[in-house]
Amino acid sequence: MNGFYDGTPLWDVFMEAATGSLTSVWSIAIIVFPLMIALEVARDLDILKYFSRACKPITRLLGITDHSALPLAVGLVFGLSYGAGVIIQEAESGLLDKKSLILLSIFLATCHAVIEDTLLFVAVGANGWFLLTVRLIVAFILTVVLSKVVRWSNVNGPKDQQARQEA
Amino acid sequence: MLSFDTLKRGFQKGLTTLFILAKVIIPVYFVVTIIKHTILIDWIAQLFAPVMGVFGLPGEAAIILVLGNVLNIYAAIGAIASMTLTMKQITILSVMISFSHSLLVETAVSKRIGVSVPLIIAVRMGLAIVSGIVLNLVWM
Repeated sequence: MNGFYDGTPLWDVFMEAATGSLTSVWSIAIIVFPLMIALEVARDLDILKYFSRACKPITRLLGITDHSALPLAVGLVFGLSYGAGVIIQEAESGLLDKKSLILLSIFLATCHAVIEDTLLFVAVGANGWFLLTVRLIVAFILTVVLSKVVRWSNVNGPKDQQARQEA
Repeated sequence: MLSFDTLKRGFQKGLTTLFILAKVIIPVYFVVTIIKHTILIDWIAQLFAPVMGVFGLPGEAAIILVLGNVLNIYAAIGAIASMTLTMKQITILSVMISFSHSLLVETAVSKRIGVSVPLIIAVRMGLAIVSGIVLNLVWM
């Protein structure tokens, strides 16, 4: 190659970018519309309630309080900003201890909005099942390990210990 | 309860999401395509080849990782679409970006919750790097 530019006619470059980008947007559109409608249907049918019930055994495995089930379910399905809203609500109502709060945040930071993210990557050619499985398993293992390895009695702080002594 | 309103809201959300997405994907696609026709792509490819080789990725895929981490998943997706990559490479990139993306915005969320920001960033980038290396080695 001589010089900075390879000499392709500018119109050809424009057409290449225009057709390529619009094709990508189209392949995402045919995923996004059904997905958003399905999520709204799920919301109105209160499927999240059942899903968060299903998440309760998972919270136990992760070593966090089962009050984390709802924020866990919301974060996994709808993403971090929705999930954070619910986490903050639960934390302010005093239902989440510091350990659960940290572990839940770490789990959701690495693994959230899994349906949307996975499908978007599938639209550009990724193996979706593989991506989803790796993401869930790794986030799960990481959280379980942190739950077991870290000495949470120090993290929970004097306030909690005091509360425990009084109890 | 389910109603016509449910479908309407779903459709509107789909439209909003698609609009947000297109606003990022189309410009990214254009910029990368233009870069591909200049000598810049060779410079970037050579500069990052040693690092990206660890993940089984070509040097120019560094653009995808940077866009995903600094901007968001949509930008990374636009960049993936504009490059010629194998399914293995796209899947490795997807896993890496799934673990670590939109660090500027999402870390603000962690901060609001009150969890250590450096901790979250270290965990996310660490997972991305380790998973990229492992997947490249394991996947034949």
